[in-house]
Formats: sequence, C-alpha cells, structure tokens
Amino acid sequence: MVSDYIKYLWLAVILFLLQFLVLNNIDLFGYANPYIYILLVLLLPFNIPHWLLLLLGFATGFVVDYFSSTIGLHTSATLVLAYLRPFIHQRWSFKSVRYEYSNPDLANVSLEWFSIYVVVSVLLHYTVLFMLETFTFHHFYLTIFRILLSTILSSAFIIIFEILRVRNVKRLK
Amino acid sequence: MNNFYEILKRLYTHAIFLVLLGISLSLYFNTTYYQKAQIGLLTKSLSGFWHKHTSFFTELFSLRQTNMYLALENIKLRNQMEAYRLRLRELQDSGSSFLDSAHINHYILARVIDNSINTRKNFLTIDVGSRNGVYKGMGVITQNGVVGIVASTSPNYSSVISLLNTDIKVSVKHKKSGSFGAISWDGTSYRKVILDEIPLHCNVSEGDTILTSGFSTIFPKEIPIGRVVDFYNKDGSFLSITVELFADFKTLDYVYLVDSKGINEIHQIQTENR
Repeated sequence: MVSDYIKYLWLAVILFLLQFLVLNNIDLFGYANPYIYILLVLLLPFNIPHWLLLLLGFATGFVVDYFSSTIGLHTSATLVLAYLRPFIHQRWSFKSVRYEYSNPDLANVSLEWFSIYVVVSVLLHYTVLFMLETFTFHHFYLTIFRILLSTILSSAFIIIFEILRVRNVKRLK
Repeated sequence: MNNFYEILKRLYTHAIFLVLLGISLSLYFNTTYYQKAQIGLLTKSLSGFWHKHTSFFTELFSLRQTNMYLALENIKLRNQMEAYRLRLRELQDSGSSFLDSAHINHYILARVIDNSINTRKNFLTIDVGSRNGVYKGMGVITQNGVVGIVASTSPNYSSVISLLNTDIKVSVKHKKSGSFGAISWDGTSYRKVILDEIPLHCNVSEGDTILTSGFSTIFPKEIPIGRVVDFYNKDGSFLSITVELFADFKTLDYVYLVDSKGINEIHQIQTENR
C-alpha cells in the first residue's frame, strides 16, 4: 500500500518535470500545447473516495498553475475532470477486469478502453480549459479547432507515455 | 436509512466540488496579470538555471539564423553610424544646440529564456533584472519590432508582458498617412495583430508599413512593427486593419530593453527651468 503512494509520487514528479521542461516548449502551429499531467488524475485507483479524487485533482491543477503563472485556470479544469471521472467510469464501465483496488492503467485494462477513456477525459479537460481561458464566444470556431487539435495531440502523448511506462514496469518485474 | 446515508454521501461530494471550484474560479478571476507575472517570476528564477543550460543546446540549432540577423543588423547600424557622423559634422559646422543629443535612448541587451505564444495572455522571461537597471514599464524591442513591456522584475530576471497578450495596447502610426492608432492582439494568430482607430479617409493599402508612434516614450519613435495584410470598414468611421508582425515571436532570442528614464529626466529639467 505504502509502495503505491511512493510510486504515485514518483509518477507525479516525472510527469511534472516532463510537462514543464519539455512539453510546455512544444506548440504546434501556435495553437496546441500537450498537457500530459492529467494522467495523475486518470490513473488513480477505481475505488478511490470521491473527496480524495477531488482534492488530488485540485492539487495537481494548482501545481501546474503555479509553474505556468495561470493561477486558477488549470486548477478549475483539472477539478472538473476529477469531478466527472466517476461519471465517465460509469458510462464506459469496464467489466471484464475490474479489481477492487486496481488502477485504470494499461496493465489492467485494454488499449481500446484506455484510449476512449483518455480521449473523453482530455476533451472535457480542454473544453473547460479553453472556454475559461478565452471566456468569450467571439472566436468560437477557433476555440473549437484549438480544443480538437489539442485533444488529438495530448491524447496521443498520453497513450504513448502510458504504453512506454507500462512496458517498463513489466520489464522491471 | 441506508438509502438516506447514500444520498448524503453523494451530496457531500458535490458540495466539496462546488467549494473547491469556487476557490479555483475566484483565484482565476481575481489575480491581476501583474500578480501572475510576479508568481511566474518566483518560480522561473528557480527554473532559470535549467533554462540557461538547455538554451545552450537549443541555440545551437538556431545559430545560423541568429548569425544572419546579427550580420543584417550590423550593416544597418553601420549605415546609421555613417549618417550620424555626417550629421555630427554638419552640427559642428553650424554650431547648433546640444539639445538634440538628449533624444538618444539607452539600450540594455537581454536574452529570452522563457517564452510562450499559445495562450491568450502570453509572457516572456528575460535574463536581466533590477540588478542590471531594469524597471517596471520598460519597453522591450528586437531588431524586428516591438516585443512587449516589462511587468515585474527580480534581481536577475524580469517578466515581460508579450505584445501577444490580449491585455496590452501599443500606440502606433501608419507610415504613409501619418495617422495614429493602437494595436492589440485578438488572440488568434501569433503573426497578426489588429490595428484600430485609423480613420476611414486615410489611404491605407496592403503592404503599408506600421511604425511605433513614440507617444508614450516606452518605445522609441518609428520602429517598424509590421505591414498591413488586410483591412475593412469596421463601424462607418474607423478601419480595422490586420497587421502582420515583422517579429516572429516563436524564435525570439536576443531582445533590447529601452531605457527612457534619461530622456524623461532631461525633459523634466528642461520644463522646470523654463
């Protein structure tokens, strides 16, 4: 149990470093910026209490905000994602392998399920993020375009990262 | 009873969500961009060390381009120097007043260590701070035009509000007609800004150059900013002009800070003595 916490902390450190030092410097066509840090919310165990999920979502967003000097923006988006996560799990419930204590990572669920899960979550996250950031319907189609482009880019980054991570974990075992 | 407990448990999650959302939204809407710049600066001076070392590698790739820019600028400066030398000789010959020399700005060279173009409120971080004589409100330019205005400083770093920030406006003029207006960013493309307040009767055409007006003394007079690519009649009396920037904010590296304090002081003294 304790080793799970340590693993999660390690993942957090790696994801934040990757986010701030590498991914924040990528900007495709000046519109899209991949955010990989939401994996921290996505990978929490299936049976985590909802209040803890919300608090962790809030904390994750706050750290990202603090380092990108956009106080409140990522916090709100990640919090909404954490709030909606149980509903996503309910809607696309994964029946065949559902251990009480397992995490929704690629070691436990199929790639198809994980992909849908990531794309839906990322789409929600970006919708809140960009709507809050622009806070106007002026360039509505541009915002939609940014959301879609960023969702594709981020989802790809997250799924690739997760595949590599799970492969490495398996090799270590 | 069990059912009642279940409902209570679910409501209690929603309540926590609403409280946390309230906190984060009020944080988002209540921090001014100066505060944001200050927060960014604190953490960026920590990560400044890292940026300096990675920029050592990333700059290797843009070396050729940087060299080209430097060479071009060298030629321009050389030409300018010649022109000034000529002017100086004329002045010495005519023995005219020394006052004109007061219109010289002092520049500070800086490097961009952190830059963003993909949000609507972009900031830059540069590697000079109050220790190098940087102060809040200084103009930042490059050889290709205006970059932004210093928002806050720490001893070794400064945060600059980028021209690509929907919060700032810069006073400019249309070179051909000499009429004044203000440019601002609409948050769409990082190559384009919008110029408002140019009256309809001005003869604007595509390809016209837009310069700084020098009204605010933040930026020196007549720095080229960009050229007109599109314009339309906005509300019957003013044009809305799309200006393509000369500066490519994606590849910013060396920038110049304009120290106009000296000029202001001289002006102040001149008016006091009059």
